[in-house]
Formats: sequence, C-alpha cells, structure tokens
Amino acid sequence: MKNDSVNRGSGQWVVPGSFLGVIEEFTPGAGTYADKGKIFANVGGQTLLDMQNRTVAIFPATKGVKVPQVGSYVVGQVSKMQSKTAVIRILKIGKEALSGVFSGLLYISDASQSYVDSIHDVCKAGDIIRAKVISQTNRLNHLSTVERQLGVLYAFCSQCGHLLQQKRYKMQCDNCGKVERRKTAEDYGQAIISDGDKEYESKDSAQKQERARD
Amino acid sequence: MSNETLINKDGLRIDGRKLHELRPTKIEVGVLSNADGSAYIEQGKNKILAGIYGPKEVHPKHLERPDRAILRCRYHMAPFSVDERKSPAPSRREIEISKVIREALEPAVFLEYYPRTAIDLFIEVLQAHGGTRCASLTVASLALADGGIPMRDLTAACASGKVDGKLVLDLNDIEDKKGEADVPLAYMPNLDVITLLQMDGQLTIEEFTEAINLSLEGCKQLHVLQKEALKSKYISVREGVKE
Repeated sequence: MKNDSVNRGSGQWVVPGSFLGVIEEFTPGAGTYADKGKIFANVGGQTLLDMQNRTVAIFPATKGVKVPQVGSYVVGQVSKMQSKTAVIRILKIGKEALSGVFSGLLYISDASQSYVDSIHDVCKAGDIIRAKVISQTNRLNHLSTVERQLGVLYAFCSQCGHLLQQKRYKMQCDNCGKVERRKTAEDYGQAIISDGDKEYESKDSAQKQERARD
Repeated sequence: MSNETLINKDGLRIDGRKLHELRPTKIEVGVLSNADGSAYIEQGKNKILAGIYGPKEVHPKHLERPDRAILRCRYHMAPFSVDERKSPAPSRREIEISKVIREALEPAVFLEYYPRTAIDLFIEVLQAHGGTRCASLTVASLALADGGIPMRDLTAACASGKVDGKLVLDLNDIEDKKGEADVPLAYMPNLDVITLLQMDGQLTIEEFTEAINLSLEGCKQLHVLQKEALKSKYISVREGVKE
C-alpha cells in the first residue's frame, strides 16, 4: 500500500484504491477521493501531480463512464411520438455508444428556433436525431434541437420506410415520392453514428466514411 | 473414502500444494469486446468470466433509486461447469451467491455518482472446482475497474478452512466437501475493510481467528495479481493508441 507512493512523480500507473498521498499535501482532483485524511485513486490510470497547485488527479486508462448530463450532446432514435413531445432512446453520448439506453424527451418548444406547427414537422418515430440535454428536472432528460448542428440526422419515410432526401425546403422520399418536413441538422444524411467516431466530422471525410444504410 | 487423507505425510495437499498456498492463478482483464468492462480468472481448475454493462437506465422503473445507482449481479454456473450437468436455471444457491457478491461489492463502488441508473454485473462460471464465490468476487471487482466505474478499492476474496484437522488456504472442491470447515472472506486491502465473511462447518474461536488471518493473507496475494492484471491491460491500451 505504501510502496505506491514512494515514487513521487506524474505518470505512475495506479488502480482503484491505490494510495496517492494525504490531504495535507494535495487537493484531491478528478479520479481520486479522500477518506480519513488519505487520498486514493477511484479509477485506474496514470497519476497527474501538479506541484504548483498541489493537486493530484488521475488520467484514466479506461473509457469513462457515460451518463447524460446537462449540456451533453446525444444521438438517439425517436421511439414514440405524443401530441407535443417526442420520446427519444439515447444510444450515444458524445462520441461513445452506450451498451444500454437512456430515454430523453423533446418538447415542441425546444425543437426549433422558429415556430413549428406540430411535433410531426420536427421528427417522426424511427428517425435518428442529434440533440442536447438542456435539463434533468422531474427525473427526465429534456432535450433540445434548437442549434444548427442539432436535429434529425437520418429521416425515414412514414409511408414506405426509405431514407428521405433533403430538398431545399422539404424532405422527399425517392421511392414513393412522399413529401415530409423535419428539423434537420446541418449535416443531414452525412453524420456518422457508430461508436468512437468523431462527433462532428468535416463534410468530405464524412462522405467517404458513410456506410450504406438500408 | 474416509480413510483417504487430504493431507499426506509430507504436509502436502491432494493437489500438491502446501497448507498456506494459493492455487495457481491467472487473471486477464478486458476479454469481452461488447461489455463495458470484463475480466477472466483461472484459479486452479476454476474458470470464471465476468462482464459489466452500464450505468444504464433502470427497468423496471420502480427499482431505481433517486440518490444512487443500483448494482445488479447475476452469478451463474454453466451447465457443463460441474461433473454432473447442472440445470441452467438459477438455483437457490446461485441466487444467494449473487446476493452475497452484490453486497460484498456495493461498499467498494461509488454508486452515489450515478443516481437513477443500474450497473449490471454478469458472472459466468465456466468450470467450477471449489471457491467459486471468492474467485467470482475477485474477477467481478476487476470487471468493474475495467469498465471505468469509480471504486473505493479493489475487492479480493479468498477462502480458508480446516482439512484433516489443519488450517489450509484456498480450498478446492474436494477439500471443501470432505473438510471440516470453510471460511470465505472478501477484503479491500487498501482500506483494510472486510466486506464478506461466511463460515460453513465448525471451528473453535482460536481456529476461526487464525482462519480469518489466513484468508486475509490470501486476499493480499490475490490483490497483487489483480493490480498486475489491470496495469498490463492499461499499458496495452496505451500502446494500442500510440500505434
């Protein structure tokens, strides 16, 4: 236990529970916790000792735990439509795909900067959507799609299920010709939504990597 | 059978170990690609796989806690893990061990960091040869660490017991069944906290105290192996990033 602290310097590998120092010498930072005056690591990784500010933190070696928080950008699928809200199954937070799902709620007034008649002009069940968590009151993740990069990433025809093509002011299905409306993100049809990809790719590299969706 | 000795004249046990010796143990971290965290342990003839998923939304909703995450644990033995085929349905014993493992891990995990979520822990015993609850705990704690779940400490677990009138460390299946007593114990080495203590059989108070100390020594040895396994995983990840 004590031998972990013998070598003082950044970059030491530690595991959860490794002893890092005492609270008299350091302020516990990210990835650490203090218990009875001692500081321990709570995740595995490398130590970061800041001798100027006397803080100790851990640079984690594992991918971090992802839960939706106010301000996080999420990607999900619209699972249910109600008269003024859309229920969204959050599948990805930031750039990491989740193993489970969280649910989020998109209310019509948080959907677009301009006035929209109906939530059905914003998204429809089955669409892939990018949104931001704006509040977590009442144990719900309230989402917003007001920003330019937020909104529907992939929309599917409500009649035949094919991918909708974005025309100037409308969405059109190439298969059956149906015309619909959506609040689209600026990179509609080009976003990459698999795990670990960069959240906002530049447009040409996004096109190269775009996988065929059918 | 009762005449057959479990400890021979030279003081060696049926698998050739000394009285206070652990079984040869191999631990690997990060073996499942789809799990958020995973680990695998081979302790003697035990082969156990653990995986964690989450934190994720709790279903059914009434299980969720407004102030902390819930830890759900499933200890399961594969039908082929023992000599006689075991029904794959969770038995009474498995349900109890799931509970015992969950309660032994809960003090180690910062559940309050992720309110209203669930962390699912799955432990699959592929081959059982005594002391699987302890080995499961050891490996489950590593799976949680691999998943990046904040923890107060790693939990190591090890049993000791009384065989042929002598106290021995890390009982195997035969010693467990024919021996006089068995004391499984889980321990957080850095915090010096015992999170699981059970006893099966009969011991005097002196023997019991000695058995606890023996188990603690075993846990400390296992903790060293746990740290090595985690660090080698971390370093391999870091090298993978550089490439």
